[in-house]
Amino acid sequence: MKLLFIALVSLCVITACQNETPNTSSNIIVPPTAKIQKNPYVNLDQSPMDVSYYPANYPMQRMKQQDTFPLIARVLYSRPHKKGRVVFGNDGQSLCKYGIPWRLGANEATEVEFFRDVKLKGTAVSRGRYVMYCIPYPDKWVIKLNSNLFTWGLHIDPSTNLATIEIPVQQQNPSIEDFTMLFEEAESGVNLIMAWDDVKTVLPITF
Amino acid sequence: MKYTLFTTLLCLFFTISFAQDRIDKSPLDLNYYPPSYPLLKVQDKVKEAPVARILFSRPQKNGRTIFGSLIEYGKLWRLGANEATEIEFFKNVVILGNTIKKGRYTLYAIPQTDKWTIIVNKDTDSWGTFKYSKDKDVARFDVPVETIDNPVEYFTAIFEKNGKNVDLKFMWDNVRVSIPISL
Repeated sequence: MKLLFIALVSLCVITACQNETPNTSSNIIVPPTAKIQKNPYVNLDQSPMDVSYYPANYPMQRMKQQDTFPLIARVLYSRPHKKGRVVFGNDGQSLCKYGIPWRLGANEATEVEFFRDVKLKGTAVSRGRYVMYCIPYPDKWVIKLNSNLFTWGLHIDPSTNLATIEIPVQQQNPSIEDFTMLFEEAESGVNLIMAWDDVKTVLPITF
Repeated sequence: MKYTLFTTLLCLFFTISFAQDRIDKSPLDLNYYPPSYPLLKVQDKVKEAPVARILFSRPQKNGRTIFGSLIEYGKLWRLGANEATEIEFFKNVVILGNTIKKGRYTLYAIPQTDKWTIIVNKDTDSWGTFKYSKDKDVARFDVPVETIDNPVEYFTAIFEKNGKNVDLKFMWDNVRVSIPISL
């Protein structure tokens, strides 16, 4: 027990020290805005893109030769930062206003792909690629899947909407600086977690 | 007391680990042909489907020597960082005599001083070069290396119009290669 304790203390100290090294240019905690260098071709995005898979970290799991079941889903989205602003709300200051469609990210519209037929909170969705967006409210998010792919922001033609799913808003504690989407294993399938600031929603996926 | 301290330390440890995981050091990026396709689309400037898109991560030079050092000559490279670089063609194309069918592929490179061997491989959604298998190659071709005057800090992949066709350009540090894609 004592040994375990000492090991943990050393681990914490080591990790903490690593975390407190001065902001070298490779330090990942610096907001990208602070260190973006001009690029004559394409600059780095202020809200960088990211990809989440289910099974979680699928490409890495394959690398490690771990037994993994087939790819179920992936989401391609950009990660805006809170940067001290009010994210969800009703007034002019809020980034994402209640009742107004939001692209679930930044830059390009968020793209979700299912590699087999799934059910999103009971709603059947065929295998394929979709634009996913949401209409946030204080107590719920209305999630929409749309067939108008490869688009920027949200110029949504409602006639191309394919599915509408309502999910309740939960408290995210501690609050999150960068918008985050990830798949987590759940009792009867997978949960797509979407979290930013003090808000978290969970979209249950079964297959 | 022992257990409170233990739990506190454990929580501290996890908090720090998660804090470090926030954003990728080499962020992912996406480029289309036609360039800025999603923006053109919302401005009603394109009606037809896109031709291609590339999904790649952007490592930075960070003062290092890239080719011949960080990326060794003659070794397979994922053309980016993290996940292997993905290219998707929304129609059949021809690259240096190789017909590539509409679909999604992984791109790799074997850099040399004077040329890069580019590999188009069918196995997608992999990390690095670890799952690379030659059996799944769709095409392999060589493109010459050009030297550029102003070094590029972040690895960059873009499509550029070249007459009726398209060039896929990779740039990093003082190196540029150009892959001609015939539509």
